[in-house]
Amino acid sequence: MIEYVAYALAVFVVLTAVATALLRDVLAAIVLFGAYSLGMALLYTLLLAPDVGLTEAVIGAGVTTLLLLLTIARTVRPSGDRTAERVDPRALFACGALAVVFGLTLPGLPAVGDPNAPIVSYEAVTGYYLSNSYADTGVENTVTAVLAAYRGFDTFGEATVVFGAGVATLVVLRREVLT
Amino acid sequence: MSDRRPAAEDPRTYIESEVIMSAVRVVAPFVLTFGLFVTFHGADSPGGGFQGGALIGVVVLMLAFAFGIDPTRQWLGSWVVTAVAALGVAVFAAIGFGSVALGGGFLEYVRYPLETPTKLGIEAVEIGGIALIVAGVIVGLFFLTAAGPQEAEP
Repeated sequence: MIEYVAYALAVFVVLTAVATALLRDVLAAIVLFGAYSLGMALLYTLLLAPDVGLTEAVIGAGVTTLLLLLTIARTVRPSGDRTAERVDPRALFACGALAVVFGLTLPGLPAVGDPNAPIVSYEAVTGYYLSNSYADTGVENTVTAVLAAYRGFDTFGEATVVFGAGVATLVVLRREVLT
Repeated sequence: MSDRRPAAEDPRTYIESEVIMSAVRVVAPFVLTFGLFVTFHGADSPGGGFQGGALIGVVVLMLAFAFGIDPTRQWLGSWVVTAVAALGVAVFAAIGFGSVALGGGFLEYVRYPLETPTKLGIEAVEIGGIALIVAGVIVGLFFLTAAGPQEAEP
């Protein structure tokens, strides 16, 4: 039953992605892009990655949509009656070729949740985290343990990069405070 | 206090809508509670500082969306968002280098003389560091995008 929901979501995600690329009205494209992100968030959650699903729902469907809406409020609508963007055949070929190449690698991926998949069974990394993270850190969410303890230095770098992005925006807009 | 002039509210960016205001009034407390839960419970359930901080930031975005960006900006004050984001970096760095000062490595939580140093350290970094940075920067990016570039002084 649940796999049919996942297939339906996958079809939904592909359709919204293609429609986002083709629609000429930017407002409609942004709304569809939000729907695409929501579909991805549900899909991630179905694939047992709730941490990623939460992030996708908040950042992808929420914040990005709002920021894009704010941006197009400063632009004008394209003139003309056409609903869809003209498709450049070379761009279509490049996108199609990329999709085919990625699609060809799909059969090589292990099934979702396969306990014998290399990423799970490789004892030196994932296996170590899964068996020892609670004893080492006292934290039940292994993802948090990896992010804040085992890979804490990387996370510090990422957090400063997020802060740096805010500062860079200040510099570009020649402002002094984040409000 | 900032000396910049408040950006003129573009009529197209804000339309007072009773539907949106009522919806935000009902939903915002739940989103804020969920954000705080995800932040503070991130060590033992899905989520953590990043997701929770983003949710808390989104509450401000929702308020601004419903009640107008400039009133929300004035309600927050001019330097609060910057201070929150910078405080996050400072807290994370202090916890990281604190263990160095105690003779260990960067973020080596066990150097702290506490009962469960690693669990407390992880939660401090998630709540006091990452959540503050993410919430501050998201709110900041929103207000900056809305305000646009500072015009050169005449």
